[in-house]
Amino acid sequence: MTNLLVIDDLFSLISKARNTKYVEVRYQSRTTNEVNFSNGELERIRSIENSGCGIRVLVDGCWGFSSTNLLSKDGLNDSLYEAISVAKLLAGMKKNKVKGLASSKLAKGLFKTNIRGDLSSIDIENKVRITKEAEEQARKYSPVIKFASCVYREMLDHKLIVNSDGAEVEIYDSKPEFNVTTVARKENESVTTSEGIGITGGWQDLFSEKDHIDYANLASEKATKLLEAKHVTGERTTIILDPGMVGLISHEAIGHMVEADFVLSGSIVKDKIGTKVASNLITMVDSGQPDIGSNAAGTLIVDDEGVIARRSVIIQDGILKSFLHNRETALMFDAQPTGNARAFEYDDDLLIRMRNTFIEPGYDKLDDMIKETKHGYLIKGARNGQADANGEFMFGSQEVYLVERGELKELLRGTSVSGSAFDVLQSVDMVGKDFKFDIGTGYCGKFQPAKVDGGGPHIRCNAIIGGLQ
Amino acid sequence: MEDICSFVLKEAEKRGADYCEAYGASNKESEVFIENNDLKQSKSHKTDGLGIRVFVNGSLGFSSTNILEKEHIGDAVTKAIKLARVSPSDKFNSMPYSRTVKLLNGIYDKKSESFTASDTVKLAADMLDAAKSYDKRVSVDSGNFTSSVMTHALLNSNGIRTKETISAFSWSIMGMAIEGSEVSNFDFQFGGTHNVKDIDVYSTSREFSKSVIDSLGSKKIESFKGEMLLTPSAVTELIQDVLAYSINSQTVQKEASKFEGQLGKSVSSDLLTLIDDATDINGLGASSFDREGVPHQRNIIIEKGILKKFLYNTYTANKGDTKSTGNAGGSPKTPPMVSTTNVIIKAGKTRADNLISEIDKGIIINRFSGNVNPVNGDFSGVVKGGQYIEKGNIEYAVKELMVAGNVFDALNDLTGISKEQKVLSDSILPYMRFDNVSFTAG
Repeated sequence: MTNLLVIDDLFSLISKARNTKYVEVRYQSRTTNEVNFSNGELERIRSIENSGCGIRVLVDGCWGFSSTNLLSKDGLNDSLYEAISVAKLLAGMKKNKVKGLASSKLAKGLFKTNIRGDLSSIDIENKVRITKEAEEQARKYSPVIKFASCVYREMLDHKLIVNSDGAEVEIYDSKPEFNVTTVARKENESVTTSEGIGITGGWQDLFSEKDHIDYANLASEKATKLLEAKHVTGERTTIILDPGMVGLISHEAIGHMVEADFVLSGSIVKDKIGTKVASNLITMVDSGQPDIGSNAAGTLIVDDEGVIARRSVIIQDGILKSFLHNRETALMFDAQPTGNARAFEYDDDLLIRMRNTFIEPGYDKLDDMIKETKHGYLIKGARNGQADANGEFMFGSQEVYLVERGELKELLRGTSVSGSAFDVLQSVDMVGKDFKFDIGTGYCGKFQPAKVDGGGPHIRCNAIIGGLQ
Repeated sequence: MEDICSFVLKEAEKRGADYCEAYGASNKESEVFIENNDLKQSKSHKTDGLGIRVFVNGSLGFSSTNILEKEHIGDAVTKAIKLARVSPSDKFNSMPYSRTVKLLNGIYDKKSESFTASDTVKLAADMLDAAKSYDKRVSVDSGNFTSSVMTHALLNSNGIRTKETISAFSWSIMGMAIEGSEVSNFDFQFGGTHNVKDIDVYSTSREFSKSVIDSLGSKKIESFKGEMLLTPSAVTELIQDVLAYSINSQTVQKEASKFEGQLGKSVSSDLLTLIDDATDINGLGASSFDREGVPHQRNIIIEKGILKKFLYNTYTANKGDTKSTGNAGGSPKTPPMVSTTNVIIKAGKTRADNLISEIDKGIIINRFSGNVNPVNGDFSGVVKGGQYIEKGNIEYAVKELMVAGNVFDALNDLTGISKEQKVLSDSILPYMRFDNVSFTAG
């Protein structure tokens, strides 16, 4: 694909802004390709190009943002002036003006994601073939599988970020995902499960551990077994969470609460920096470039303000250490920008978003966690979740195993797990030595999507498992 | 936009497509955000989108671009054709033929032309003031006010050529109440209209504030089985999605809908009448034609508990040997899917107050946070902004209470629908009361 703009176009636009404290121009050109087969039929095939510029200005202590897909000189100039004029309008009404932006060494240069197997060099025919084959295999697995669907999706980004504080960045990013969903049904019972992977990387990275047929078999095997499984009775008890569930709790229940914009509106952690919020076995991190695991889906080299998306330790040995910041909140909290300012597409505004959020591994073995549990459950397969302002969270799982007297017993239907986030983290008494990122097929929603990941080891805690009373 | 769509049809024919459809939409939007009890930011967007669907030898290809320059459009047409060449052929692929589209009145307000960015700022400020002045313990985490004007056009090689402009205003507010160290449940309220005169941010703010204040001082309660009263917002979260999924011909044809094979049969209590109607101009889902250019119509889906029909686009109608119900949906970035337009649950005869006073032991659920499985209807999650009712009286707010059950079973245990309805963007919903619901203490 030809580049619609070069970095000099952005510089020349910025030089035209008058009476602004800060100007930022982000060009993003995204190609999304997607193939989806459902029950033997092509459900969807599409290729989307979405390109344009998002312009953000700070005028009289107010932000103005405008976006356009018209990339001619006139189109860009109009958009810049629109951003300035809406910022000025707000200046008359806004109570708390933006004081400024924390200084930070802003990135310069070309950044490319590490990939094995350039996605654009893999023919579309191949992508159609594996999606079709996996969907067929999922249904072939067992006669109780009544429905299967398989999606391959890739997002290829080319970004240019230039701002009046010195950022000068060109980025190439590549995020593919592959997911198989199946429904097993018998009489009035049905079970939906999915297996998949979402990463930052290339074609070989995507299928390095399992191939497309493996995912199909795994999804169908799980659904087939769960169809025979009983429901869980609701109770508060010992719970062992798998890495995906740990990733989900880190992201949903803690991560959102430490986003500085959320802290400013009264999150329960606002006065808790330096205090003990979790068991001292817990160290939780949000990082753009994790030094653990590989190809995490939320990998981000430089954020959309031009700040290096470094590792931020949220909780160290049970003590709350840091919130997640953009440059504006970093100044307000007298902290360093953490590289969490992200926009999904060119026309999205920058928000404080997580990247890869995880709990660091400890010293225990999963086997020992089970052996040392008299009664409890092993919860597997993160579904989705939500957390509330007061720390109450709820998230779904695909599989539940009963643990009795130190042994793994029968498989039960997936259900929700809930509790108060910090109570659950305080209750953690065992942290596994294993590690995995496992929520990379999902998207985080906060007015706009974001590709994030999360993970950790297995951990043992105390929480409420839902179910029919 | 019509000219661009015409250009697409010509290019597609030249480059080897048997059939082509071009759907273009241009949107101009102005938005103000509220964050942390203050105005945050103003935004202004101009976007275009073009979706190109082709059939080559009965196979589907689709591409989309937002760069409306001839070279890019040409590349996008070529890409769509390339995708069609690697796709399997499907005998049900066809495009609808031209029919007269009667353009709806009341979805484009001329006054939107003089609605300025400063009006948007003022309304956002009013909404924030209304929430804060209700009670100083209210903390607004975020919110927005948006005004937009959208023009969309659809042309296909079977002679459809249609176009309209829609204005829309929408607003939302979310946050909590804070008293000392107690933080209430989160609440989220929103509103929307096509017409300037119907903009009412005040009521939305007040409802939000009342809800978060009412959820302060919450207590834990013991597990019990009783009645549940869902507010319209909770109906969207708990009931609407499962119904929308189950009445969609795509899921029916995949045998993934609980309603498959149930046409003409009872699927719920006879209190329920469910309608999909894009011609109801009160809902933000209103428009004159669907994503394939088929005229919109009012579809009664469930009438007094009896399942009457499913929602179809042209493809699923071909497959089901029936006619499109005008429910092709989607943006220019996606080929036509099947979607609901305005989902309406018909109002009942009882006032919401009376629905409450008839409850012996139950919970009002303002929001539901959890999982709902649209395939089998199982739900489990946490009650948000819940209030405990005993002998017809609201006793106190509850916390850490889980609710679990099955939506399809619940529809048979429906015991009341309110007279009052609320417009929630593209849903028009009443309060709904159900019996035999399990609540589990946390």
